[in-house]
Amino acid sequence: MNKLNVGKMSITTSRTLRTIAIHAGLYVIAILFVLPYFYMLSLSLQPESIAISSTPHLIPPEITFANYAELLAGSLIVQWVINTFIVATVATVLVLIVDSMIAFSLTRLNWPGQSILLSIIIASFMVPFYVNLVPLFTIVADLGLVSSLLGVILPAVANPLGVFLLYQFFRDIPEEYGEAARLDGFSNFQIYTHIILPISRPILSALAIFVFVFNWNQFVWPVVVLQSQGSFTLPLGLVVLRDTFTFQPGLTMASGVIASLPLFVLLLLLQDRIIEAVQFQGTTR
Amino acid sequence: MNLRQRETLDGILFALPYLVFFCVFLLYPLLEGLYMSLFEWDPLFPSQSQFIGIGNYVSMLQEPAFWNALGNTVYFVVLTVPTMVVLSLVLALGVNREVFGRRYLRTIYFSPYILTVSIVGIVWSLFLATGFGPVNYYLGFVMESPPDWLGSPTLAMPVLAVVTDWWLLGFNFVILLAARQNVPERLYEAAKLDGASTWRAFRDITLPQMRNAIAFVVIIQFIQQFQVFGQPYVMTDGGPNNATTTLVFYLYNAAFSQQRFGYAAAVGYLLFAILVGVSYINYRYIGSDSA
Repeated sequence: MNKLNVGKMSITTSRTLRTIAIHAGLYVIAILFVLPYFYMLSLSLQPESIAISSTPHLIPPEITFANYAELLAGSLIVQWVINTFIVATVATVLVLIVDSMIAFSLTRLNWPGQSILLSIIIASFMVPFYVNLVPLFTIVADLGLVSSLLGVILPAVANPLGVFLLYQFFRDIPEEYGEAARLDGFSNFQIYTHIILPISRPILSALAIFVFVFNWNQFVWPVVVLQSQGSFTLPLGLVVLRDTFTFQPGLTMASGVIASLPLFVLLLLLQDRIIEAVQFQGTTR
Repeated sequence: MNLRQRETLDGILFALPYLVFFCVFLLYPLLEGLYMSLFEWDPLFPSQSQFIGIGNYVSMLQEPAFWNALGNTVYFVVLTVPTMVVLSLVLALGVNREVFGRRYLRTIYFSPYILTVSIVGIVWSLFLATGFGPVNYYLGFVMESPPDWLGSPTLAMPVLAVVTDWWLLGFNFVILLAARQNVPERLYEAAKLDGASTWRAFRDITLPQMRNAIAFVVIIQFIQQFQVFGQPYVMTDGGPNNATTTLVFYLYNAAFSQQRFGYAAAVGYLLFAILVGVSYINYRYIGSDSA
């Protein structure tokens, strides 16, 4: 009896110890994860003299908004915020329209050649973007789109991911929905706008979030296409600021805060939706 | 026009807008790139380009800089993919338990994924800087002279790998967490009744049940990390001593610093071939459902 109790005791204590260890591990890693953010924010709020002193301060000894003021007055950052917003928004709207239209065509309408077309689009998933880097640049240059935001936006719309996501979702909508409407005299266009799109709101918003974030953050392609500073998006502008103000890390960090703030706000407001949007991709195969 | 023709017409009209983008910005460049790779391409006067057959591919294989870039890329992949997948699996299994504040932990682990590579690179460069960076300041208390992380040819690449893990781990974490939550709890209850240890349960239930999700993140990460570009571009400029010049960084320089468009297109096609080959092997041996 006594022996049994001791055994039980040690099982519960070892379980408690394990719970504590797991919590400690997870929270230590979480702190390591947010430390760089914290450093970015902290440095952006420090006066330049303290920021480059040999003793770093994770917590600013005094707070100033001078870096932000200098950034807004002395750089193109406002222009870059606007450019980035235009790229991300226009790309998202275009992707939602053209991807949902072709997904509707591939799942709801019967026409010769559609299955071959679908296989070609799926196969194009395998094409790494960099294979096309050089030829795409010559095409965009021929179209006169160098240093134009359209030169960033239009190639982004060709990405097949959204087509595939929507294709899978539309395919699983029961056939009867469209059929009943067709008997009521709905045209294909009306079935698309009045039935398929409203039912698909969850997947459409997931795709919208994904495309918006992707285009807000796009780096390589804009580096190639945007060649004048006035046409830059934030990811490019930040590198220029860093290289220009080498000895003013606080200023660079302030630009990082400005560029990431919209996405952090989005993440805090929509954390469940955004994580679902990522999981949608994981389940598509 | 009969009903059938009507449906065909509508089908094509609905598909057309995307197809225009697809053909102009994806399919056509893909063919154009293959064509360019067979030329000594003249970017200013393309019509004066010289056909050299597989000349670009041959000179690529003879250039030490190409092999250096390929070697660096493989090294980077080896450093990032296993660590990222294992760490995200550990975190996913941890957060799957009844832990305090798990919703916030989940969002924190995921959060760096939404940043652009230039913020990631800039913040970490300053974080690790010698002179005023906090990491080396605190290391200075425990060691004589803390390393110059990004200035050392041996350390630069591992540092880029750690930064990349921090940045992109969240994607895998979220997918693996979802996969873990889809494993039926009754399997674990049955194992418990049979007296199986936690380790046995992990090996015989968790791993096999999550196999597809794990295969998925391995393939995706392999393809993505093989194309690393932004981190060396922002943090090291391919240095020191070309120690972080990756394949895509090399391709980018060949094209846009040296104007060797045909050659760069050839490098791109080789990259394509490698990725197709590896994905095929992955698909064949890890990803299939038949086993």
